[in-house]
Amino acid sequence: MIGEGRGEVTATRISEPVPFHDGFVSELVGRPVYVERDGERRLVGRVADFVVERPQDTFPHIDAVIVKTKHGELAAPIADVTLLDSDGLVVKKAPTVVRPPDDEALYLVEDLFDKQIVDVDGRKVVRINDIEVARTGGALRVVAADIGVAGLLRRLGAGKVVPALLERIPRALIAWDNVAPLHDLSPTQIQLSVSEHRLARLHPSELADIIGELSAQDAARVVKSLDDETAADAFEHLEPEVQRSIIDDLGTERAADIIEEMDSDDAADLLGELSEARQNELLAEMDSERADDLRELVAYAEDTAGGLMTTDYVWIFPHRTVEGTIAKIRQIAPETEFIYYLYVLDQAEKLLGVLSLRTLLLAEPNATIHTIMDQSIISVRPDLLAEDVASTIARYDLLACPVTDEHGTMLGIVTVDDAIDAIIPERLTKKLPRFTKRGQRRRAEAAP
Amino acid sequence: MLGPGFITASAGNDVGGIATYSAAGAKFGYATLWTLVALTVSLIIVQEMAGRMGAVTGQGLAGLIRENFGLRTTFFAMVALFFVNTGITATEFAGIAAASEIFRVSHYITVPLATVVVFLLVLRLPNRVVERIFVAFSLIYLSYVVSGVQAKPDWGQVARGAFVPQIVHDPAFLVTVVGLIGTTISPYMQFFLQSAVVDKGARARDLPMIRADVIVGSVLAIVLAGFMVIANGATIYQASLHTGHPPLNIDTAQAQDFALALQPFAGTFASLLFAFGILNAGIFTATVLPLSTAYIVCEAFGLEASLDRRFREAPIFYMLFGGAILLGAGLVLLVPKASLFKLIFYAQVVQGILLPLELVLMLIVINRPRVMGSYVNSLAANVIGWGTAVVIGGLALVYVWQSIAGGS
Repeated sequence: MIGEGRGEVTATRISEPVPFHDGFVSELVGRPVYVERDGERRLVGRVADFVVERPQDTFPHIDAVIVKTKHGELAAPIADVTLLDSDGLVVKKAPTVVRPPDDEALYLVEDLFDKQIVDVDGRKVVRINDIEVARTGGALRVVAADIGVAGLLRRLGAGKVVPALLERIPRALIAWDNVAPLHDLSPTQIQLSVSEHRLARLHPSELADIIGELSAQDAARVVKSLDDETAADAFEHLEPEVQRSIIDDLGTERAADIIEEMDSDDAADLLGELSEARQNELLAEMDSERADDLRELVAYAEDTAGGLMTTDYVWIFPHRTVEGTIAKIRQIAPETEFIYYLYVLDQAEKLLGVLSLRTLLLAEPNATIHTIMDQSIISVRPDLLAEDVASTIARYDLLACPVTDEHGTMLGIVTVDDAIDAIIPERLTKKLPRFTKRGQRRRAEAAP
Repeated sequence: MLGPGFITASAGNDVGGIATYSAAGAKFGYATLWTLVALTVSLIIVQEMAGRMGAVTGQGLAGLIRENFGLRTTFFAMVALFFVNTGITATEFAGIAAASEIFRVSHYITVPLATVVVFLLVLRLPNRVVERIFVAFSLIYLSYVVSGVQAKPDWGQVARGAFVPQIVHDPAFLVTVVGLIGTTISPYMQFFLQSAVVDKGARARDLPMIRADVIVGSVLAIVLAGFMVIANGATIYQASLHTGHPPLNIDTAQAQDFALALQPFAGTFASLLFAFGILNAGIFTATVLPLSTAYIVCEAFGLEASLDRRFREAPIFYMLFGGAILLGAGLVLLVPKASLFKLIFYAQVVQGILLPLELVLMLIVINRPRVMGSYVNSLAANVIGWGTAVVIGGLALVYVWQSIAGGS
C-alpha cells in the first residue's frame, strides 16, 4: 500500500526517488509519511509542520516533524527520519509524541508563515511567504525566508500548474542569519526583525526607518533595547508623532536620558511637541544645565533665530593659545555638530569675537586667541525671523550666525543649512550640501 | 477634526452612493429611510471594530487576514477586493463623465483629463492634502439638506419612514435595500479605515477618540444620505404620485439623471451644485480608492508599497494602482453605456455579497484573545456584528437567488 492516489508514484518508481537536499517547507508539507518495518512501508500520515527548538541559533536545525495522523498531530523526532525524498518521508517508528506546546518551540508553518519581517536593508515590512530548508552540516536546517512573488505563487500551488513560470521569477530570499525573532518567542504574534544587536549597528536613519515601520508597541520595545546614544541618534530621524508615542511608552526617566543625548535643537523640537506638564517632568530628570538650555530653546517660536538655533557650538576663552584650542577641538569635535567657527566668550558668556577653523589652523601655535579673533561680530537676536536670519547669513557669506541677547550674551548658533531649510520649500532643500546631522536627516527624509 | 472615520464615511458617499440614495428616494419615497437608520448602528459597530483592530494590533485588515486565515483566503479576498474596487473606480469615472455632460463637455475630453488629474493628485500631492481638499468640497452635499428642507416634505411622513420599518411589496425594493447596504457599508471602507488608523500610529488608549470619530463620521454620512433620499422623495417621488409616471426612468438612471431631474424642483443652481458634487465625489474616490487598494494588497502579500519608491523597486504596487485607474477610466471610454451600467451594477452586487464574508472574517479575528488581548468584542458588538452579517448575508442570498431565478 503506497501513497494513496498519488499519480506520480509510478513515475518516481521508474527512476530512483531524488533524496532531499534543499527546498521549501511549503513543498514538504503534505508529503506522505511512512513507517518502514521489514522492508515494508506503511502510510501513517502527512507532513504538517516542522519544529525548531533553538531558534536563536544562526541557522537553527529542525528537531522534529509534525505529522498529521488519524490520531491528531504527533511529533516525530528528526533522528527517527531515515529517508526524505521526493516520494515522501520514512520514519523508523510511528510518531507517538504529542506536539510540544507552542511557547517552547518555534513552528515553521504555524509561527512563521505569513508573518511580518522588517527587512535588513531598511526596506519596508515584508512577509514570510515560505521557508527554505537545506541539509547542511549533517542536519536539516532553516536557511532562508522567502519573501518574494515566487514564494507566493509556490504557496498558491502554481508550481504544479506552471513550474516553468516559477523558475523564471527571480527569488527574493533573506538568509536566516539576517532574520531573528525580535523578542522572546511570544506564543502569538511573532514579529520578526533584524536581531537587536544587529539593530544597533545600523545607520541611525535606517534604524529610524525600521522603528517607524513597527507598530507603536514594538517600536517602544526596540528603543528600550538600545543604548541612550543610539536611541537618541535614531530618534532625531523620526517623525514627531512617532517620537511622541514612543516617549509616552518609555517612562519618564529613560525618555529624559534619551532626550539629553539628542542634539539640542532636535531635543527642543521634540519637547515643544509635548504638553507643558510632560516637558517639566522630563526636564526635571535631566542634568540642570542641559535642562536650562533646552527650556530656553523650547520657549522660542519655531520660525525665529531662537527656534532654529542649536547650543552645540565650540567656545573658548580669549586667553587660550592656538595650540591648546586645537587640542580642545580635537577632544570635543566628535560630539559637536558644527566646529568650523569658534566663538570666544568671557566668564559671563558674553561674545567677544569669532574665528574660523581656517584662521586657527594657519595661526602660530603659541599665539593667543584674542590676538587672532575677529572682533567685528555679526550676530542676531533670538526673536529675529528665520528669513531675516537667512538673509544675514547670505549677506555676510557665513556658515553659521551666533545668536545673542541684548547684552551680547551668547545663546546659540544658527547654521546655514538650518536657516535655508526654514525658508526654502522642502522639495528643494534635498539638493543642497549639508554638514550637520540635522541637515543630513532632512535630506535623507526627502530623498526617496 | 478630520479623523479617519470622518474621511472614510465621506468616501462612502461616492458617485454610486449618490445614485443609490437618489434612486431609493425617487422610487420609494421615504419608505427606505428606516433601513438607513438601522444601518447607522451597523456602520458604527463595524467601523469601530476596524478602528479597534488597527489600534490594538498595529496592522491593517489585510495583514490580519493573512496572519489569521493564511495565504489562500487572503489571495481570494485580495483578488475580489481589487476587482470590486476597480469596478467602483469605473463608477467614479462614469460619474465624472456624466457630470461633464451636464456642463455640456464631451466625456471623451473630461475622462482622460480626469485620469491625468487623478494621477497628478496621487503622485504629486500628499494624501492628507488631497483628503482635506475633497472633504472640504463635500460640504456641497449640504445642498441636499437645503433642498430637502426647501422641498417642504411632510415631516410626519419622513419620521414614519425613518422609524417605522416597512417593506414595499415590489421586487425592486429588495434590490434597492441591498444597494443601500452595499454602498453605505462598502467592504473597502473597513480596510481603508483600519489602515488609516494604523498610519496615524493610534493605539489602544486612543480608542475613545477613534470611537468618537467613527460615530460622528458615520452619523454625518448617513444624515447626508438620508437627505438625498428625502430630497428625491419629496420631489420626484411625489411628482410621480401625482402624474402617475416618474419624470425619469429610475431603473436605468444614474447620478447625473437625478441631478437633472431635480432641476425643475430645486432650480438650476442646485442642479449644477449636485453635478459639481458628483464630480468632486468621483475625482476624490478615484484618487483615494486605487491607491489605498494597492497599499492594502501589497500589505497582504508583503510587497514593497510606497510612492517614495521607483517603479522598478515597487513594480506591483505601481501596476496595481495605475492599473485600477486606467482600467476604471478605460471601461468608461471603451464600453458602450448600456453595458457599462450593467458592469457597475454588478460591481455593487459583488460588493453586497462580499460584505458579509468580510464581516465574518473580521468577527472571527476580533474575537481571538491572542490577537486582540483584552480588546476582544463585547457581547453587544458581537450581537450587532453577527446580526448584521447574517441579515446582510441573507438578503444577498435572496437577492442572488431572485436574480438567477427571475433574471434569466
